[in-house]
Amino acid sequence: MSAFGRILLVEDDPKDVELTLTALDDYKLANEVVVARDGEEALDYLYCRGKFQTRSNDNPAVLLLDLKLPKVDGLEVLQQIKSDEKFKMIPVVVLTSSHEENDMVTSYKLGVNAYVVKPVDFHEFVNAVKELGVFWALINEPPPGSIKKN
Amino acid sequence: MRSLNFPSAMRSAIQRYGLAVLSVSVALGLALLVVRFNIHGVEFPLFLFAIALTVWYAGTKPGIVAVVLSSFAFNYYFTEPFYTLYVTAADVPYYIVFILFASLVAWFSTVRRRVEQDLLQSRDDLEKEVIQRRVLNEELAKRSEELQAINKELEAFAYSVSHDLRAPIRHISGFTELLQKNVATVVNDRGQRHMSMILESAKRMGNLIDDLLAFSRIGRAETHKTMVSLQQLVQEAQSELVQETEGRDINWKVGKLPACYGDRSMLRLVLVNLISNAVKFTRTRPQTEIEIGSTNHKPDQIVMFIKDNGVGFDMKYVNKLFGVFQRLHAPEAFEGTGIGLATVQRIVHRHGGRAWAEAALDKGATFYFSLSKSGERDL
Repeated sequence: MSAFGRILLVEDDPKDVELTLTALDDYKLANEVVVARDGEEALDYLYCRGKFQTRSNDNPAVLLLDLKLPKVDGLEVLQQIKSDEKFKMIPVVVLTSSHEENDMVTSYKLGVNAYVVKPVDFHEFVNAVKELGVFWALINEPPPGSIKKN
Repeated sequence: MRSLNFPSAMRSAIQRYGLAVLSVSVALGLALLVVRFNIHGVEFPLFLFAIALTVWYAGTKPGIVAVVLSSFAFNYYFTEPFYTLYVTAADVPYYIVFILFASLVAWFSTVRRRVEQDLLQSRDDLEKEVIQRRVLNEELAKRSEELQAINKELEAFAYSVSHDLRAPIRHISGFTELLQKNVATVVNDRGQRHMSMILESAKRMGNLIDDLLAFSRIGRAETHKTMVSLQQLVQEAQSELVQETEGRDINWKVGKLPACYGDRSMLRLVLVNLISNAVKFTRTRPQTEIEIGSTNHKPDQIVMFIKDNGVGFDMKYVNKLFGVFQRLHAPEAFEGTGIGLATVQRIVHRHGGRAWAEAALDKGATFYFSLSKSGERDL
């Protein structure tokens, strides 16, 4: 795993990770992804703690965040990011299986930048992930302090 | 005459008659004492008091004994000639008045006692009722707490279904597709067919889960009721179904429809489901007839119907029709998960109405649902 990444993917399910990376690979974006397997790891990455101690201090260009995570769940991560001056500009995209209105409303209240329900259909899933990757990592101009494109 | 309840100490006959004797004796003693001090005219009320006391605490019969005893004592000690039971003719009316007066006091006392007894009884009854109500209220509160807990649990269940069941399906279809792509040249037709069957099944499972979730959400969602024009809703439903009706020869007969009080998006779903069913099950007909209208038999009720000339169904399965995931047709003939009519029924129930159907095999079907106009019953 590279310590640099323009996309921080926070996802506990290894199969979802693989499918997401497969989808991003079509646009050669997979190398730019850092995977955090739970909320704690995601925060460790952002705060350069634990195994991410040695990484450069730049923020990822986008955070793809699952909601249902072990240890610290997605909504807590989101709240932490949006309440920290240093991270609140990082675009956060919730990428979840949950259709629940509660989750969506809470996420938007916490200041999420986009909310995407993972489509069950593989094609739609791949397309959604690709579009997200392309938009946030290539098209969108990330806030200052983000990792520059390699 | 109903028996009176005396204080427990006054239950036995000996005690009750004893009270008569005792109270008259005490009255006599007091009367003799005051006469010794040359005070006259107090004897009479003292005896009346003793009689009243006896009637109050011991009842009517000891009261009569007290009257008789008082008469004798009064006669013996306080009327001339003293210390004899002799009654002069001139004293007879005096005695009659005494006895009548004593009886009157006794009677009043009895009546009062009974009234008081009744009041006490009512008070006890009320207290009992209050206690019963309190118990009932506590039970209700407990029930309501239980229900809330169950509802929470259901929500958690739906959440878990939504999140945890969808992920494996995505994986099945995702990796199967990747496999299909990567091994296309190596796998024979049979293998290819199996892979597409896996994909189809995964897709179907996904649809079932989505439908089930939508269905459960309807049960949990709050209704937002306003006045809704059914005419407009029918138009919206028709335009929503444009994809299915395209290229079909459909003769729509939409009658004049009233407005009703209800949740707009839910009622819209009812109409979309019923109309899309009508469109779906008439697909095999060269000319489709769909009639939408309302009948108005009761002042507070609207009955809507959607009638088609489609394949219909056998009325002996009519009670299965509105069940979750119940289907009366082979999936090859007509697609669908079988959640539509269950959704219709649930929404109509939540509006205080009911849904039913009439049909014959191959002779079309008519679906009805009733809505209360005032919409006061919200279930």
